[in-house]
Parts: sequence; C-alpha cells; structure tokens
Amino acid sequence: MAAVIRRGEELPRALGSQVPAVFFLRAPAFHLGPLVWAVQARGKLAFVHVDLIAGLGKDRAGIAFLAREIGVNGIITSHSGLVAAAKAERVIAVQRLLLYDDLGLSSALAALDHARPDIVEVLPGVIFPLVVDQIRARLPLPMIVGGFVKEPAQRESALQRGAVAISTSTAELWG
Amino acid sequence: MRTPGVMGAMLPAVRDGASLNQALDLGYRQVLIERGSLLAMVGPLASAARQGIAIFVNLDAVEGLAPDSAALAFLATDLGLSGVLSVKPHLLKDASRFRLRTVQRIHALDSTGLETGLNSIVSPPPYAIAVAPAVAVPQVMSTIRGTTRTPIWGTGFISSVEQANEVLAAGADVVSSGRPEVWREFSRIAVS
Repeated sequence: MAAVIRRGEELPRALGSQVPAVFFLRAPAFHLGPLVWAVQARGKLAFVHVDLIAGLGKDRAGIAFLAREIGVNGIITSHSGLVAAAKAERVIAVQRLLLYDDLGLSSALAALDHARPDIVEVLPGVIFPLVVDQIRARLPLPMIVGGFVKEPAQRESALQRGAVAISTSTAELWG
Repeated sequence: MRTPGVMGAMLPAVRDGASLNQALDLGYRQVLIERGSLLAMVGPLASAARQGIAIFVNLDAVEGLAPDSAALAFLATDLGLSGVLSVKPHLLKDASRFRLRTVQRIHALDSTGLETGLNSIVSPPPYAIAVAPAVAVPQVMSTIRGTTRTPIWGTGFISSVEQANEVLAAGADVVSSGRPEVWREFSRIAVS
C-alpha cells in the first residue's frame, strides 16, 4: 500500500500505519522538507507528485531541488520529460497512466514505453482489470493501481491481477 | 438558428469519415468526434451538420485544431457543428460566444482530480459535463451531484452495452462509446 496525502493533517495517521510508502499530492514545495523527513524517519519511502506541487517549476531544476535539497525517494508525474529528469537525479520515477479515453490508450502506452519509468501508476482503479493484459503485453514494468480505490475488495482484486501496490487516500485501507 | 442538441442516451464517438457514416447508417442523429484529425473529415462533417446531425468535438483530443477563437469560429460558422468539449474553462466561455453548446470535460481519475474538475465548472453552467472515463461514473456520481445538477455525459472505456447501461443507471444522461458493435446493439434496444 501507498498512503496518498492531500493535506498535512492526514500525515500523522499515515506515519502510524503499516504503509511502506507515502505519496504527497498538492504538497507545498518549500515547506515539504520536514514532512518528507518525518516519513523517512519511520522507515517509509516518500514520493512527491510533481505535477500538482505548488511553487515548484515542472522542470529539471525543480526535480533536482526535490532530489538534492529535500532528498525525496521518488517523484510521481504524468510527463515523460520529468521521468527523464528523475532518472538523471537517481530518484524513483513513477509515471501516471491516466485512463480516461480508450482511444488514446495505445499512444499513452507508446509514450510510457519510450519514457521507461521505474513504476507505472494506473488510474482510475476501476479500469485496471479491463486493461491490465493490454498494458502488460506492451510494458514489462511494475504497476501501482490508484484512483477511487476505497474498498478492500478493490484492493484485493488489483493485487490479484498483478499490481505491486495500491495507492489510496482512504485511510481505512492503510492498515 | 440553434444547432441540434443531443436527444438519445447513446452518443457514438467517431474518428473518421468511415465511422461517421457507420453511425449515421445505424440511424444516429448525433456524434462525438473524440479523436483523429477533424480536418481530414471536414467534408462529411459539414454535410452531416447540414442534414441536422448534432456534432460535438472534443477539442482536447482531436488533431489539426488550435485551442483558440479562430478554430471555434470555423467549427461554428463554416461547419455548423453543435458544440465542443474541453477541460479548459476559458475555451468554453469563448465557444459560447459562437453559439456553440459547451460541454465541460472532467477527469474522474482520483478524488483529487475530480475535486479540481468540479471546482473549475464554468458559470453559467455548461450544456453538459462529460465525465471521463465513463466507467468511473457509478463511483463519482454522488460527489458530482453534491455540486451540480447539470446533465452528465460519460465518455471513454465503454466497450459493451452492459457497461453503457450501468453508466446510465448511475444517473448519466448520455453515454458515449467508440465501438460500432455497441452502437448497433444499443440502437436495436432503443428501437424495440
């Protein structure tokens, strides 16, 4: 499991849970350090969603700041260019596969195949069973499933279908 | 003259002249151009629009058009299309100046994204809100209805009549599919 944190007040519960990783969405870039270090002090990995972060350039310098100054374990992004920047900084690159349009799926898979992130995050969770075979045929990459995963049954079915982890803001699933 | 709106529950998503004709041959009076080059199908589109077919264009995904006023003027005035879909509020406001119906797209990918989409809904309300992917509609309908009464379209990842019916049963007014086999089955059900 990965705990998705949207507001600072959600963090203590994630810190006290069993999750091995915390994803920060909408984090304030220049007040992020203490939050990330608190996560790491609990032996968990801290990932930051770059596309939604306030105040930070969505570019190489922005990624370098997160990697070198804050020391995040990884970043999450939809953009192939930022995946390359993350790899250059030697942090884990999680690229989001946003499934809102089946007609766009094959070009999205081609872009991911080209960018080669370390992990693919597939959203929303309800689509995962419909496309997992198609994705796996094209991309030999570990997959995290997220987006409206609120029930234990959804988590179990995604894990059974081969997801390596689930990302969710539903604290009841953090364990 | 006001262009035609969407009348039935199924909105075929077409991507070229051939699939447009397929939808029209099945009796549909409305289509969505979801992908592909709009400029490669200008002739068939203009002729369908002249026959009173309601044609909507997803400006975020079709190729060949800039997201600007000149493109909107071309769609409205030269082609006589009915409306446009976009996630961009400023583009929709501009589109309403050209008397195009405006359909605001929101992405139902995760709760944060849905919240962002709902916060960006234009005022006055759009003609409809298109939720993508449609298969997520049952999960997000109550959240959307907590914010707005605007008609809901579901677009994306509908590959069977059962899925389409689930989306409608969840409260969507319109569901779109890119699969001719779904159009075919759906038109049969709708007629009988």
